[in-house]
Amino acid sequence: MPLNNSLIPFKGWVNFGLKTPKNAAIAGYGVYIPRYRLPSVEVARIWRGGEEAPLIKKAVASLDEDITTMAVEAARRAIKMAETKELGAIFVGTETKPYAVKPTSTIVAQALNQHKVLASDLEFACKAGTEALQLILALIGSGMIESGLAIGVDTAQGRPGDDLEFTAASAAAAYILSKRDVGSIAVVEGASSYVSDTTDFWRRAGQQYPRHLSRFTGEPAYFYHIQHAVKNLFDEFGYKPSDFKYAVFHQPNPRFPVEVALRLGFNLEQIKPSLLNPYIGNPYAANSLLGLAVVLDEASPNDLILVCSFGSGAGSDALSIRVLDGVEEKRRKAQNKVRDMIEASVEIDYATYAKLRGKIVA
Amino acid sequence: MAISYWRRRDRYYRLLGNKCTRCNAEYYPPVYICRRCGSESLIDAEMPGTGKILTYTILREVMSGFEGQQPIIIGIVQLDNGVKVLGQIVDTPIDALKIGCKVRTVFRKIREESSAGQIYYGYKFTVLC
Repeated sequence: MPLNNSLIPFKGWVNFGLKTPKNAAIAGYGVYIPRYRLPSVEVARIWRGGEEAPLIKKAVASLDEDITTMAVEAARRAIKMAETKELGAIFVGTETKPYAVKPTSTIVAQALNQHKVLASDLEFACKAGTEALQLILALIGSGMIESGLAIGVDTAQGRPGDDLEFTAASAAAAYILSKRDVGSIAVVEGASSYVSDTTDFWRRAGQQYPRHLSRFTGEPAYFYHIQHAVKNLFDEFGYKPSDFKYAVFHQPNPRFPVEVALRLGFNLEQIKPSLLNPYIGNPYAANSLLGLAVVLDEASPNDLILVCSFGSGAGSDALSIRVLDGVEEKRRKAQNKVRDMIEASVEIDYATYAKLRGKIVA
Repeated sequence: MAISYWRRRDRYYRLLGNKCTRCNAEYYPPVYICRRCGSESLIDAEMPGTGKILTYTILREVMSGFEGQQPIIIGIVQLDNGVKVLGQIVDTPIDALKIGCKVRTVFRKIREESSAGQIYYGYKFTVLC
């Protein structure tokens, strides 16, 4: 298999399906989307002379919000839904830690009053959230813990005027995973990861903003890794696109998830429910986990969901998730839908955004 | 983190107060002796995360560490268990504030020492109605 991410057609697939534990399941989920929205036309007005911009908005964290506060808010919602008392592990996947050295996961643990936990922060650009989820699954499957918390969260940065600034957004998604029981929401049937050394987007230590290679972030990075991960999952576990009721892909912009879905043989009906980018932008490590949450808000028992993340640097995690009977009761009790949080928003202009995100300081 | 803040972080992170085991009176911040019955037998108790605004004021001049946040709304909130607490009210336009508005707690940054210093987190309130 070519590893240079060239456009050479795929010739074969390495069978690398991760043996996910069937005794571990999603017991609850919660998201947090800050209420401020910056329309992309505002970015175009300031930096592109008012040229046409896609009709999208991005979620913007307030002055007093960061990944720690958003992670805690999402985690509290997930715990409430799962009705879990004790956690064995907390992993926070992010690339926008407020402290370069000092774990965010310990602050989250303290805020949740969970102390007998394995706690750590994970970084893999936009796919650290699905990594956290898989690590928690493995710890439960191995018998090391009974339940754990996986969080994907970011206050994504974009250099003023850069293409990234149109979409780089803020949000958090948290998942409680526990031993499978009658109240479980969904089980991860299969998983497949694919990585290569591909420098499509990066941020060097001490730098405030990331850099990227524009169109190189597409074909050799996003599309290459997602297609490999999903194809491997299909080969290993015998799936075909029509087996899935929903497909959730990482959404760096409105176009990429649609294109990769069509390339892989999915149709628009399968991906439409998860497409949040036009409404909240790209909250990096929270991205695909938010897509999963909005789908779980409407899925029925026995539905099969494909989730595939992408993290620059680069890699993808593909997960096949089967919805279980407990989803309806848990949703009824939680009364906390992703779309309600998307609706509860306030539009801001570029000047307010610049103040809230520290681009101008007093 | 200032040691005094570190000692009280559960108060700020979780609204952790205490409760008299004899007469069930609840307190925030926690007390050593029950003000109602005089008992010294008190246990930790997390306060409810919802309540209503009793009163509020608006600060247009702020202390060091709070720059950029002004105007800051500070309110006294009566929690659902009757306990009254002081806290900042956020994400709410001033003209939307009303006495009696329902609020819930949110976890937020309180202040930062500097770009190289520590970050202090804690509870604030956001309006529900």
